[in-house]
Amino acid sequence: MMTMEGVVLKLPSFTQLMNPNHFTNRTSLNFRFTFPKYSSSSTASLSVPAAAPVSLGHSTRPDFEILHQKVNNGSKLVYLDNAATSQKPSAVIDAVNNYYRSYNSNVHRGIHFLSARATDEYEMARRKVAAFINASESSEIVFTRNATEAINLVAYSWGMSNLKPKDEIVLTIAEHHSAIVPWQLLSEKTGAVLKFVSLTEDEVPDTKMLQELVSKKTKLVVVHHVSNMLASVLPINEIVQWAHDVGAKVLVDACQSVPHMVVDVQNLGVDFLVASSHKMCGPTGVGFLYGKSELLAAMPPFLGGGEMISDVFLDHSTYADPPSRFEAGTPAIGEAIGLGAAIDYLSEIGMQKIHDYEVDLANYLYESLGTVPGVRIYGPAPSATVHRAALCSFNVEGLHPTDIATFLDQQHGVAIRSGHHCAQPLHRYLGINASARASLYFYNTKEDVDDFVRGLVDTVDFFNSFK
Amino acid sequence: MNSATATIFRPPTLSILPPNSYNLTPPRIQYKPNQSNPRTISTRSLQISHRKHITPPHPPEHSTTTLTVAEKLQILDTEFKSLPEPIDRVKRLLHYASLLPEFDESGRVESDRVTGCTAQVWLEVTFDVEGSMRFRVDSDSEITKGFCYCLIWLLDGAAAGDVLEIRVDDLGEMNVGILPIRASSRVNTWHNVLISMQRRTKALIMEAYGDPSLPLLP
Ligand SMILES: Cc1ncc(COP(=O)(O)O)c(C=O)c1O
Repeated sequence: MMTMEGVVLKLPSFTQLMNPNHFTNRTSLNFRFTFPKYSSSSTASLSVPAAAPVSLGHSTRPDFEILHQKVNNGSKLVYLDNAATSQKPSAVIDAVNNYYRSYNSNVHRGIHFLSARATDEYEMARRKVAAFINASESSEIVFTRNATEAINLVAYSWGMSNLKPKDEIVLTIAEHHSAIVPWQLLSEKTGAVLKFVSLTEDEVPDTKMLQELVSKKTKLVVVHHVSNMLASVLPINEIVQWAHDVGAKVLVDACQSVPHMVVDVQNLGVDFLVASSHKMCGPTGVGFLYGKSELLAAMPPFLGGGEMISDVFLDHSTYADPPSRFEAGTPAIGEAIGLGAAIDYLSEIGMQKIHDYEVDLANYLYESLGTVPGVRIYGPAPSATVHRAALCSFNVEGLHPTDIATFLDQQHGVAIRSGHHCAQPLHRYLGINASARASLYFYNTKEDVDDFVRGLVDTVDFFNSFK
Repeated sequence: MNSATATIFRPPTLSILPPNSYNLTPPRIQYKPNQSNPRTISTRSLQISHRKHITPPHPPEHSTTTLTVAEKLQILDTEFKSLPEPIDRVKRLLHYASLLPEFDESGRVESDRVTGCTAQVWLEVTFDVEGSMRFRVDSDSEITKGFCYCLIWLLDGAAAGDVLEIRVDDLGEMNVGILPIRASSRVNTWHNVLISMQRRTKALIMEAYGDPSLPLLP
């Protein structure tokens, strides 16, 4: 942790409105004081500074220069919008920088030195992605602009050639719009029918209902791995089993799992899986589709152009093999290489370690946030068997989440998301129009959670004082 | 609007923050001739009221009628500039929010929703016999309501032409961030509200006159 953060004692202008314990005690030794109000977690106790292990959050923060800044009137930035996009470590920024400084060139198109090097690095990035999710071959990885494009690729290419009227696609109501809208468009074109799984009382997608909905008519099951709003985790193995039993394919939206845990596509048995680079420490502008080779091999192209053809005649063309078949035009070369660097960075830490640390953070976040009066957190309560992702979507009684987010940002430097998080059907199901969401990553610390909760209490007091 | 007019007008009492001093609850002109069918009063309604604008119970320092939209714009701009601290802006906006008359639940109809906002906003647009545009807005977000109060103060009762001439940029100071927001953004709910006000104004004028340019001429 940088000392800069350690010594900042912010005096909010609303001292009298705040809970009296608003002073942050921070030292670079991870020596924590817990305030009675937030000490519902038993994990936080006074530890001996010298022996205190440095948390993953503290040890990785120096890699993220962007986190060490003041925003709005000098508040220390507390970045808790990681489900929207993650920050990038210097290793990734350097890799992109290095690409543009030393070997920027088009890929697969030139025999010259720079092009060969760029092609090499670009293909190396593909191999890194493949290894990261344990795909059996790197040709099973198609680079796309983002997860959304990857889903659209499957919808148009696989969907248009495999679905007929009355075929069914099973999804959950908790899907991101990116995993709903492409299928709605497809259903308009093909007559395929969308079937939605709702939530259980515990506010997790009802897997029993999903199992029942899957039938001989089902051709595709589209599910998220980790929910970007509920923080719940779906049992992909079982879902794949049920789907494959009736001959249906499974597409997993892994946007919120690949960055945070070990994801093994062979172990999961999924047919398609998508994720975005920008949520996993990589640059924006690149994402990927994993597809089983035999599926990709049978799929027609999605977009036409250079790179994806084998021979072009005036009346027809023959298409390149996957993955090139699906990568029309010049790809996001520097970004893909940056994604490769992000994977190196994450792998060096270890995804299991990241996950374990985040489970602990997730519990701390859930418990701390739960102490705020009038707060309602969506999704399942954490338990020995239920592990939540390190994010909480919530509302505070009588306050609009956008007002909360605005005040937290302006007054406390805390960046959270407000709105429907591209999950309007889910919000509607929960009877709300919007929610606030704090989402963490491995470079966040329990102090960040404390700052957030303290800021939230102040925010609630502030707005309530106007009522 | 002529920006020159906007900059010339500098009333001495600017620091008194006029919007604050206005009571924005004049007896509303009733546009609902048929109460049994509230749907017909949505934005498409062309029921023209024959009652004139009624003076608010507590007349403001400058009567609304003496201030042009350009002058009000200037006042708003100065007001926001006088509040460099976001917290003060939020406080002011919450105060304005409290002055904005709420719709009753039945007024929050889907057809009046301003879409694309992070908060929910309902907007009712009508115009009276004088050709003045009448706006009512409500939102479930207090900060948004505060902004909407400013828009209402600025444009309620204005001529359609004046409504259509306002640009988001003219209200560049109207934000709660320290950075002036230059580009129109989905996050800036009031941008959507302003654009909706203008779109619906245009639609109403089109419907009434068949030619949007007609009543817009000075
Ligand atoms: C669960 C989930 N799916 C899909 C997406 C879409 O990702 P992208 O916008 O990078 O395509 C997101 C990102 O917000 C997400 O959280």
